Amino acid sequence: MDTLSGADTGTEPGRRTRRFRISSVEVLCAILLVAILGQGWLQQLFDVPALRTGSTVFVAVCVQALPFLVLGVLISGAIAAFVPARVLEKVLPRRAGAAVGVAGLAGVALPGCECASVPVARRLMGQGVAPAAALTFLLAAPAVNPVVLVATAVAFPGKPEMVLARFAGSLATAMVMGWLWARWGKLEWITERALRRLPDVAGGQRWRVFAETARTDLVEAGGFLVLGALISSALNVLVPAKWFGVLGDQIVLGVLVMAVLAVVLALCSEADAFVAASLTALPLLPKLVFLVVGPAVDVKLFALQAGTFGRSFAVRFAPVTFVVAVACAVVAGLLVGVA
Amino acid sequence: MKRETQNILLILLGGALVKIAVNGDYLRYVKPAQQPWIITGGAVMVLLGAVAIVRDVLAARTKVAADPGPDAPDHAHEDGHAHSARPAWLLLVPVLAVFLVAPPALGADSVIRTEARVPASAAAANAAAFPPLPAGDVVPLPVNEFVSRAGWDKAGTLDGRTVSLTGFVVHTDGGTLLARLVISCCAADAFPVTVRLRGGEADHLASDAWIRITGQVVPGTATRANSYTPDFTPASLTTVPAPKDPYEY
Repeated sequence: MDTLSGADTGTEPGRRTRRFRISSVEVLCAILLVAILGQGWLQQLFDVPALRTGSTVFVAVCVQALPFLVLGVLISGAIAAFVPARVLEKVLPRRAGAAVGVAGLAGVALPGCECASVPVARRLMGQGVAPAAALTFLLAAPAVNPVVLVATAVAFPGKPEMVLARFAGSLATAMVMGWLWARWGKLEWITERALRRLPDVAGGQRWRVFAETARTDLVEAGGFLVLGALISSALNVLVPAKWFGVLGDQIVLGVLVMAVLAVVLALCSEADAFVAASLTALPLLPKLVFLVVGPAVDVKLFALQAGTFGRSFAVRFAPVTFVVAVACAVVAGLLVGVA
Repeated sequence: MKRETQNILLILLGGALVKIAVNGDYLRYVKPAQQPWIITGGAVMVLLGAVAIVRDVLAARTKVAADPGPDAPDHAHEDGHAHSARPAWLLLVPVLAVFLVAPPALGADSVIRTEARVPASAAAANAAAFPPLPAGDVVPLPVNEFVSRAGWDKAGTLDGRTVSLTGFVVHTDGGTLLARLVISCCAADAFPVTVRLRGGEADHLASDAWIRITGQVVPGTATRANSYTPDFTPASLTTVPAPKDPYEY
């Protein structure tokens, strides 16, 4: 009897009866079984050049991004378990406008790429940080941290103004979005689930809360990261290479196309500088736009944001971010003298 | 989706990451420096899933022993998330892709799809960046560096020297190429560097066949108009097995 209940895992809390119902565990087993039996057929299916390239890019994006997402959920769990809300309230300025500034500069401290910052920003909101400040952190962290800036400097040797312009443009994008949100943003756009405040953690339960928060965040955000990877790998195969080639002379068209490419290619913010630098036919300004837009808004991030903060948030936030990022990049580029 | 299923998925996905990082397949997808990240990330994933399973089982035991669940607030929190976990099914996609499809490294198809470019470092470099080649009859060079020198080195350090290059065959309208893909982070940002082969032997090989060639550059053939694809006169050609580490960096 004892072993039965143990193996049978009455683990789902609140399960009422023992009636036979097909649960997700059985579905998972069935899918795995079918997939293993059909492996030969599956491999044949993917033996088309375009699909093969697409599936390689898909796995590459997942393998590259998942460790960063894990880092993000660990930080998120640590905030939930070890940083009581009142500490954050004490550290951040009371006024949202000033908090946005602090949050933007705090982005310097998270050396990861964009996948890591989404769960962290969401947890900050959950701990009572003003949404405007949390969103500023979300946009600033992947773009202005030292790892990304060093990568940019390495990709553009002898052009320190590129690093400066990227830093200024990205930080400006994050802060402008924060202030826009503080002024016009509505809390009801963000799904209630993301804002729910965790109860203060008692001393003995910290590690349990840490593991449980990290696990839940990982399951939720991971699914959306995979969705983003699917979309970006499809676009990676479908976007014609000629887009890169013909833009040498037309600066306005170049800026627009590079902004759109930054969104659809969804490159990691630590790698995009190398891709931009390798496009020798382009002037510097469109490259800068590519570097500022990419970490702020792309298809992978959009999927992550929609999953974390809710769809009605993402469809408002992403387009505005896109416009603000392009504008900030152009202004920063002109001021620093990149163009 | 039930908690059990989520935990199983986490363990499967984490296991997939650890597996490719340990057996070296990860080199098809990302650069070598990522290996510790992938192992750590995968291990943490497995750990989070395993801890949750163990705790659930233990909690179920204690519940059987003394029926009112002592850890009610914790579980209330988990229940709140249960409804939103449907996208978690997508975690299965990379698991199946890694274990069953195991996509190969990028090859000829992405070379045809992407326009060849010159490595970033070369574009900004000056003559000082291209020291003379080391002495020797045959100098092995990465394709990346060969193309950079052919396109940007005004001092002509390649002219008249015999070099050996390793890459795979790509057949295009313009002829047969030897190509290599350069990545800076993962395969999503790969771009090709290419060399046009003057001379027949490689024409008979299939696309994606790995070869090592020796020969000389045709000076002045790598121009902006042809995306910096220099012409190459091969002296010898041998087929080689595909390297474990298929990209240049």
